[in-house]
Amino acid sequence: MRKLTGSELVFNILDELYSITIKSGEKELVKRLFELKDFILNERPASMAVQNILRQIGLYILEHGFINIDKYIIELRERYENSLEKAAEIMSRRIASGEVLLSNSNSLAVRRVLKHLSERGKNVKIYVTESRPGGEGLLLAEYAESLGFEVYLIVDSAVRFFMKNIDKVIVGAEAVASNGAIVSKIGTSLIALVAKEARKRVFVVAPVMKFSPETLYGELLKLPEYDWRSLISEEEITKLPVDYKARVPLYDVTPPEYIDAIVTEYGLFAPQAIPLVLSLIEKPITSPGRSFEEIVNSIKALIEV
Amino acid sequence: MNMYPERVLEIASGIREMKIRGAGRIARATAEALKIAALSYNGVEDLVLFKKYMVEVGELLISTRPTAISLPNTVVYVLSSLRNSSSFSEARESVVKRADNFIRESEEATKRISLIGAKRIKENSIVLTHCHSTAAVGVIIEAYKQGRVVRVYSTETRPFYQGRVTYTQLAKSGVPVVQIPDSAVRYIINEVDYVVVGADTVTSNGAVVNKIGTSQVALAAKEARTRVYVAAESYKFSPLTLIGELVTIEYRSPEEIVSREWIEKHPRVKVLNPVFDVTPPEYIDAIITEYGVIPPQAAVLILVEKLGWALDVLGYSEGKLDLKRIVAL
Repeated sequence: MRKLTGSELVFNILDELYSITIKSGEKELVKRLFELKDFILNERPASMAVQNILRQIGLYILEHGFINIDKYIIELRERYENSLEKAAEIMSRRIASGEVLLSNSNSLAVRRVLKHLSERGKNVKIYVTESRPGGEGLLLAEYAESLGFEVYLIVDSAVRFFMKNIDKVIVGAEAVASNGAIVSKIGTSLIALVAKEARKRVFVVAPVMKFSPETLYGELLKLPEYDWRSLISEEEITKLPVDYKARVPLYDVTPPEYIDAIVTEYGLFAPQAIPLVLSLIEKPITSPGRSFEEIVNSIKALIEV
Repeated sequence: MNMYPERVLEIASGIREMKIRGAGRIARATAEALKIAALSYNGVEDLVLFKKYMVEVGELLISTRPTAISLPNTVVYVLSSLRNSSSFSEARESVVKRADNFIRESEEATKRISLIGAKRIKENSIVLTHCHSTAAVGVIIEAYKQGRVVRVYSTETRPFYQGRVTYTQLAKSGVPVVQIPDSAVRYIINEVDYVVVGADTVTSNGAVVNKIGTSQVALAAKEARTRVYVAAESYKFSPLTLIGELVTIEYRSPEEIVSREWIEKHPRVKVLNPVFDVTPPEYIDAIITEYGVIPPQAAVLILVEKLGWALDVLGYSEGKLDLKRIVAL
């Protein structure tokens, strides 16, 4: 699950929870929710969409018990799918045929934007960074190629070299904080800075599910770091000094001033307007005061009692 | 017709295939190749024929990498002595002498840069470097020995991973070093006090041509108010840019980035592999040369005062690098 993008992880988890609900029942469901909580906290602490989804499921159970939980999971999946589609569609309207885009990593939201562009017959060119560590950029390049677009693959270091050629930078997000900052694949903040310097527009495509309600209450987003294993193979490391040290952050924070708009299923907003957006939409993720962790914990208590 | 000594061809292909890399080492290898070529010349002992031969060797060497100015600077420095030679033996001797001179001076320059640059780093500093530069590593090691550096972040530097060379050299000198991916530069830059990098070419307006990624490292540093120092020997300054020449940025094979199989499987993906980028002078706090620390905008001073000979020589060739005219053929 490490390699999945934030949105892929949501779908993956919802599908899994659905099948557990149908096949194994509520105890197994709660057990799995609990495991997922630990996995998210340890491995993907910035993965806000998953946290929000788990919180939603938790709140549902606390309120209604397990009646129709399977239907609720399907409903959540549909809602997420629709929000992703809608956000991508809105983004694609902002892109004209002939424009040159740049993206990094392999965001599902960005892929949906490309799909919409392709369906509308808008022909774009896209620069994709390799996106070390992980190198997911190669997957995005493959996908864009399969849609028939002209694709340029570059190393992460070459962003400023090519920024002159770019019209718009489009990225996904792992989380959106209440001040409009985004957490995204490592390197995104550098790309946004370079875009700003060159006066190129930066768009973040992120369904509202990616918004972090906790940050509204002053919570800091946690960013995981890996070690050398994400940079080099066991074989290659033998050529380097023993005790080879590396710091490999997986995400970074792009400040709102480098983002021109965050594109959600509700429309396209200035990043600074995020608190307003949160207050306008229906309850789900603005309700907390309780973190997804607390909510999942209290369900466990419910079952054990 | 293959009349060049084998060792010269080896050096030329070594530079082309990046077995010999880094502007400083390329320059010294070039001087070495010219010396070997002169010493193993076994044609007719005639001044004109010898000059022609040396010009051909010089052109061969210059053709190996298009961006690094240290290559043509070295060739021009070594061969311009031929202009005033009046006999074959004098000519051969002058090439050998100039080449030896160059190698010795360039090594001394790197040492002087280490000493000068180390002074610019305050105690307990964290330094970030990109790619591998002998001059920059020299500065960092010297500063570490003086107790000024507590940690170094070294970018791995795709596609060639020269950062691993930097890591190894620093670790061997006991410097605490941590490797980061190139994409993590902005993430880490708030911890960093100084960025120290090398240069392949310094232009007359003080822009620095260096490994791809340097300009965005410098931009991130500027944003975070972290100082950026460029360690560069004077032979990396480009007299050609003073007369308006543009620096050609070399693109290398896509196979340095992705495998051949991947490229063949994805014919509509163009893999672009520029090797250098240009950092504008406003993102550089100082260039550290063997003659001292200068603001990048004063690059022209080094060009006029220390590479004046090169400018004179270029004058002979009317603004274009024409080795024939430089050796008065």
